[in-house]
Amino acid sequence: MAQETKYLTEFYHLPEFKGIEGYKKNGGYKELEKALKLQPQAIIDEVKASGLRGRGGAGFSTGMKWGFLPKNDEPRFLLCNADEGEPGTFKDRMMMERAPHQLIEGMIISAYAIHSKKSYIYVRGEYDQSINTLEAAIQEAYKAGYLGKNILGSGFDHDMDIYRGAGAYICGEETGMISSLEGLKGQPKLKPPFPAVQGYLKKPTIVNNVETLAVVKYVIRDGAAHYKKFGTEKSAGTKLFSLSGNIIKPGNYEVPLGFALKDMVYELGGGIKAGRKLKAVIPGGSSAPILNAEESEKVNLDYESLAQAGSMLGSGAIIVIDESNCMVQCLANLTHFYHHESCGQCTPCREGTGWLDKITHSILSGKGRMQDIELLLKISDNMKGRTICALSDAAALPVISFVTKFRDEFEYFVREGKSKVKGTAYKGTSHVEMHH
Amino acid sequence: MLKCTINGVALEVKPGTTIIQAMSENSQKIAHYCWHPGLSIAGVCRLCMVEIQGNPRVQIACNTTITEGMVINNTSDKVKEAVKWGLDFHLINHPLDCPICDQAGECGLQDQYMEYGQYDSEMAEKKQKKHKVVDLGPTVVLDSERCILCSRCVRFTDEVSKTHELGIFNRGDHAEIGTHAGKKLDNKYSLNTVDICPVGALTSKDFRFKQRVWYLKESQTVCNGCSTGCNVKVHYNKEGLFRVKPVYNAEVNGHWMCDEGRDTYKFVNKEARLLKGSKYSNKAWQIDLHSGAVAKETALNLKEAKPEEIGLVLTGQHTVEEYEAIVTAFVNFYKTKNIFHWINNKDSFDTFDGLLLRGDKNPNTKGLLQTLDKYGITSKWTDLEDGLKTKKIKYLVVAGPENTFVYPDLQSKLQLFSQAENFIFLSSARMPALESYAGDNKISLIPLKTYIEKDGTFINAMGLAQKFKKATTVVSEALTLTEAAALITGQNINITETPAENLFIATNKRPDQVQLEHRKKNEFVFNRGRL
Repeated sequence: MAQETKYLTEFYHLPEFKGIEGYKKNGGYKELEKALKLQPQAIIDEVKASGLRGRGGAGFSTGMKWGFLPKNDEPRFLLCNADEGEPGTFKDRMMMERAPHQLIEGMIISAYAIHSKKSYIYVRGEYDQSINTLEAAIQEAYKAGYLGKNILGSGFDHDMDIYRGAGAYICGEETGMISSLEGLKGQPKLKPPFPAVQGYLKKPTIVNNVETLAVVKYVIRDGAAHYKKFGTEKSAGTKLFSLSGNIIKPGNYEVPLGFALKDMVYELGGGIKAGRKLKAVIPGGSSAPILNAEESEKVNLDYESLAQAGSMLGSGAIIVIDESNCMVQCLANLTHFYHHESCGQCTPCREGTGWLDKITHSILSGKGRMQDIELLLKISDNMKGRTICALSDAAALPVISFVTKFRDEFEYFVREGKSKVKGTAYKGTSHVEMHH
Repeated sequence: MLKCTINGVALEVKPGTTIIQAMSENSQKIAHYCWHPGLSIAGVCRLCMVEIQGNPRVQIACNTTITEGMVINNTSDKVKEAVKWGLDFHLINHPLDCPICDQAGECGLQDQYMEYGQYDSEMAEKKQKKHKVVDLGPTVVLDSERCILCSRCVRFTDEVSKTHELGIFNRGDHAEIGTHAGKKLDNKYSLNTVDICPVGALTSKDFRFKQRVWYLKESQTVCNGCSTGCNVKVHYNKEGLFRVKPVYNAEVNGHWMCDEGRDTYKFVNKEARLLKGSKYSNKAWQIDLHSGAVAKETALNLKEAKPEEIGLVLTGQHTVEEYEAIVTAFVNFYKTKNIFHWINNKDSFDTFDGLLLRGDKNPNTKGLLQTLDKYGITSKWTDLEDGLKTKKIKYLVVAGPENTFVYPDLQSKLQLFSQAENFIFLSSARMPALESYAGDNKISLIPLKTYIEKDGTFINAMGLAQKFKKATTVVSEALTLTEAAALITGQNINITETPAENLFIATNKRPDQVQLEHRKKNEFVFNRGRL
């Protein structure tokens, strides 16, 4: 029987872990003391050696990202990306609400490593409880001398603030987040320059996910070698997965990378609801290409295996879809989301997301044309890799995977004017009526 | 210097050059909307795609810096397909209202469609509805449906005029250009946004619906609106001049010009001009005289005068060549040094707004001063006033301004000049104020040509001499100051007359009627927009 590996989440079941006393009782802030005695470069080297990869979605080596910072005395910023907006993802929320100090400690250690005197946690605006919990925890940390001037007598100063997002998915993209933090419209910036060279207020800035920063504490505690024992060769460590959809036991599960998706669904998740059959899985948040049932049962949850299967690990949001779902309708949900969230800066994304949305909804209302199916693929192909940020790709990839893997459902819908699964079409004549 | 190859052509570029800069500097074609050499890089239209050897994905040329040995092309099928789709994304929600769009004929979308498109659109869905006929300010109208959100206009107001009126509001395909709350697009450079708008989204209230651009000819000249001397092109046809647009000159005006300079075509058009010579003597006007005849008669009068009885007034509105001719005539032929510099706006004469606009509203003050200096002229304006008061100056020749809009002192000066027993006024502008003169002195009016109608040189405030060529003729009978100088020293010259049918406003319609009709059209559209 496959089981969770509670490494980061070891004490998450304890309500007291939320407060500084309970946190310290269970080993909290010991690693900060340890880290402040180390050379900052030694911490960067350790993180690099641990093989830790960004947990926000892109999976880029954290140590390497830190290494891009210029080697000078220029002020720099650490920015924690807690704008958890990827549909299906809710792991950061749990981490912030159950273990705020874990994140704060990880952040102070990381800030010390990169010589940053100021950090921000950019929290998704809807996460009221996370914001309140974090705010209280930051106050506790200041009181206890873990934040502020001369932390634990080390001579290192650090201040931390929370910035509350205003509900735009695009602000979860790191340069969009920087724009938003600067008080501008949340729109991604052209790269180069990369944030590590020119980020917040044109100063070097490191943007890391909540989970990534929390892991830093454990890399310091147990060392890179120990951390590497979890997971596969190229995907080290454990990862939190948010399991949702037609599943009996949805929730967050921590497992080592390389864990079988099948075990996640059938053992940790307790299988499909009402004894229905599995139809498909979106393995890494809504932007990840969908896997059909056959692919899902073979694939493991690590960066390489999922890439090989034509999808991605993304933020670790596993959305389980069973046979009672109409794939045209599922896709229409996604195209609507990306249409709504495109910032509108780059033309292919601004116009393409709307076009995809209109076509899927036209099919859904029984008015699709057979050539629309091919058109969906052509549009998506030409949205991929053509824009400043990855939102365009994120909108295109699901379309390509849905249409190629479940083409029969799309063709049936166009031919018969109704869903192959549900036997009906939508009554609304336009997507506007359906969603607003 | 870095070596690179673009479309098979080996080039050497300075480090830091982007691909699009290298291509446009070497006259290689590349589709683009958001990039503008005078603005920061936005990288949003995604049209300037190039293929770089060794990179599997097409890249944008505007934000890619050239590195040593880079091999670039934008002619491969891969790039063409990417641009075709890039263009299609721009067009799916575009209203395609070219027949009623002012930009038609000089539109980036049309140009690129002919180059990369020429396909039938596959867009079968309803287009996005946006605001039409948005009144952005006193000079510019916005059609949001035509807008491709390249953000050039927003960057212009942020980076060049630094007035920050414009922004992009909402997101995704609902995004629209607009002015920030409580603001209007109202600055001295606002019409540059119309120039840089690659589509018909921003149109000039002054020019819209006046002419189809393919009926206009273009000619390059130097703006005579102020002493900056921006390089400009004028657009004209037989009906007259219609607009002025900037021409790039790194040393003078960069890519821009001010709104004031764009109005300078208005005093060139026939409705503002003095068309024929006329004379006032014995309390009666003789009108419709030939300009040459009036000038010759002036010569006869001046020959009888003593040198100290003759005066000449010049403004900074004529060319260096003309100053030379007329000053020589007066100094050498009439032996007088009573030559005076008429300064129109004394208080703001030396002001500068830091970008382009100068308080000296004359294009060639420097040229005039240099000529006066050359001939050792030191007369002061008070000498003229005294000379007129004491009747010492009996014959006063004045070469008046072309642009009377920037001569607030015109009326008072005319009163001053008409104190001379013989006032000979050379003017390109119509002078209604003089027509009501009822005094005892004699007045002669001789029409002059404007800067559009002659070759010449202006020396701008920085001392830069700029030569320009004649664009066209508006009033054929008008004289250049050089011709006038020759005639009033008694020389015979041949004035070649242009046949009437080749003149501008040779139509039956009066120019003011033409104006009125356009205004009506505008009002109609405005009302529809409000509904």
